[in-house]
Formats: sequence, structure tokens, C-alpha cells
Amino acid sequence: MTVEEQVKDIVSKIAHIDKAIMSPESTFKEMKADSLDVVQALVAVEETFDIEIPDEEAQKFRNFGDFVDYVQKEVDKKG
Amino acid sequence: MSQSSGKVRVAVDAMGGDYAPGEIVKGAAAAARAGAVEVVLVGQEDVVAEEMRVQGIPPDLVRVVHAAEVIREGEAPAIAMRQKRQSSIVVGVKLVRSGDVDAFVSAGSSGAVAAAAATYLGMVEGMERPTVGGGFSSFAPNIVVMDLGANVDCKPHQLLSFAIAGTVYARTVYGIENPTVGILSTGSEEGKGNELVKETAPLLKASGLNFIGNIEGNDILTGKANVIVCDGFVGNVVLKFYESIGDRAKAWMMLKHPRWKGIIRRLFDELVPIKKLSYEGEEEGSGILWGVDGVVRIAHGACTADHIEHGINAARKAVEADIVGNLKREIALFRQQGKLQ
Repeated sequence: MTVEEQVKDIVSKIAHIDKAIMSPESTFKEMKADSLDVVQALVAVEETFDIEIPDEEAQKFRNFGDFVDYVQKEVDKKG
Repeated sequence: MSQSSGKVRVAVDAMGGDYAPGEIVKGAAAAARAGAVEVVLVGQEDVVAEEMRVQGIPPDLVRVVHAAEVIREGEAPAIAMRQKRQSSIVVGVKLVRSGDVDAFVSAGSSGAVAAAAATYLGMVEGMERPTVGGGFSSFAPNIVVMDLGANVDCKPHQLLSFAIAGTVYARTVYGIENPTVGILSTGSEEGKGNELVKETAPLLKASGLNFIGNIEGNDILTGKANVIVCDGFVGNVVLKFYESIGDRAKAWMMLKHPRWKGIIRRLFDELVPIKKLSYEGEEEGSGILWGVDGVVRIAHGACTADHIEHGINAARKAVEADIVGNLKREIALFRQQGKLQ
């Protein structure tokens, strides 16, 4: 399973979003995820990949694609 | 439960609440002294230790788990919970997750407790959001209103999940085998209400729950329905209005009958203690956070030592009654039947 698929799984499960409507361009607002959904997803992703996503980085995510890209970079860094 | 003592272990947020840590530590010590539970105080170790010393509580009566940070009222709950990972709320919830304790009680920021519980314990499959329900037990001993403010905007299937949680609540807490369920609306006739009510009523009707239809505001206290479902916006308005009735009735009667002031004051303050009408009996001072995968009780910010002691014992009972397991089984049935997403 790719990083993108795993992140998609986590966000979809937590925020009850149909994976079919999740694209790299989708914003959390468009996907109707509220602030609790976003925080839950961030923590779940951090724990799944054993990485840390600082708030200042998280605030830069414009859409789902940015979120996945960041996680991918952090995972790659870990080797 | 504790392997050695066989007792239920309850963690208590020592830093949360208007009268923390004094009243919290006092209530926790009282519960520990009663002997039915093992109590763990979670908070800034030096502050908690000093409070215990001042109150003359022996260090071996309750265990203290250090949590360096405190989430204050007014902080954005989800953000504070994420930024303050060493807060007493997050540390306490994580103790439940790790199995170090069986339940957590906090009088701190309700939103932060709910957010931390949803994030670190996860939700019961089929429950999207944590919900707080409670009884208006002074006047109506066998009702539970759900939601009381955790979710101001709700979807129809979420209200159905609250109705299921409310049914488990009424069975577990009140011992009612087949609780009646109503949805709060502006008219008792089918089809009356706002869009949310109109869309939820058919789901409740088809659910197999003991749904009796719409309930109007004047039927909340009659016990017509044991479980009254509404979104948290409506529930919170109703709750706070209800809580204000005692004080307002006393003030009005004293104004209207100034010569009887003393009798009226005594009647309300001593004979009929309805200053705070709700949260008496089982729910005194705190309530279960339903839907999260663990036992968590949220206490009123202004709670006293008695409320904390009661909350700890109520948490023990919730663990012993396996309320989370009951909810999981009930929700699973609805999901199997395709009645809940």
C-alpha cells in the first residue's frame, strides 16, 4: 500500500469521507471535514508513520495533496 | 482492573475545573479511602503533591502521574489538545488507551476532553462523534436527553446513533429494559419540525428502537419518552434553561411575596435543592462521554469534591457494567441490519 493510499484510508475512516471524492486538489473544507476530523487525522497519521507534523507545517497544507506530499517526504527521510 | 487488587482503576484530571486542584484532590482521596477503586491523579506532580500534603493525604493513598501542561478553558479544544500533548487531559486519556487505568474523569475543558478521547481512544465503529447525554432527574428521573451540547450541527444518521447510545444508557443506568425514544420537535404530529427532524424521524421509525414519535418541549419532563434525541444546539439550550428554573423561580417568588422571603429561601435552598436541577442522582456533577472507545466522564467545571468522588464511583460502575461493550454490541447489530452507516 502506498503512503497516499494509507493516508487516504486514515482520513476517509476518521472523517467518514468517500474515498472516491478524495483527490490531491480536494481541500478539507470541500471534503466536509471539520477541525476535529483534521486533528484526529493528523495524530493518526503521525502515529501510523511514526513521524511528527508540526502545526506550522500543517497550516501550510492547501489541500489533501500537500498533506500526502509532506507525509511522503517525512517517510522517505526515515529511509 | 488492577491485577493485584481486582479494583477498577480511575484516573482523575487533577488540574481541570474551577476549583482544581484542591477540590479534585479532596474528592479523589475520598473515593480512594472508600476503598472500591484505585485512584490515579494526573497533573503537575509538584502542585498535586503539595495539595496532598496540605490536605494531609498520605502519598500511598493515590498514585500521581505527572503531566507538565494544563489546557485552560477558552483554548480552542482540538488545537490545544494537539499542541499540549503533555497536558493532564491528554496524559489521562492515554492512560486509558494503554490499559494503565480503566476510566478517566475530568472537570477540565469539555471540548478538549472530547477531542482527546476521540483522537486517542478512537470512536466505536458506527459512532461518528462523541456525545454527552444526561437526565433531568429532579423532575424526570427516567429520561436521558442526547445530545446536550457536544455536537451543535448534526446529521440524521448521527441522531440515530445518539438514540442507540441513549437506549443503552437508559438500560444500563436506569434499568429500563425497552426504553421509549422520542425526537424533540415543535409538534407531536409526524412530519412536523425542521429538516433534521423530518429526515431523522423515518430512520428512527425503521430502526427497531422503541420509537414513539415526536416529543414537544412540554413533554420533556413528563417521562413520555425515556430517550429524547436532539442536536447539541437544542439540547444545550434546553439544559441551561432547565438549570436556570430553580434560581429564577426562587427570585420571582421572593419578589412577588416579599413577606415570605425567608420561607421561600429556605424552601428552595434547604427543602427543595433545585438550584441546579439537573445532574442529580446518577449523573450528579458529571456525565459519560458516549461513543468513544473507553470510559470517560466529563464533570461540570464548577464541580466540588463530592461531585468528583461521585464521578469516580460512577466511572467504576460504567466499567463494571461494560457500557462501552454494550454500546459496541448494540451499534454492531444496527450496522449488520444496514440501519446505520
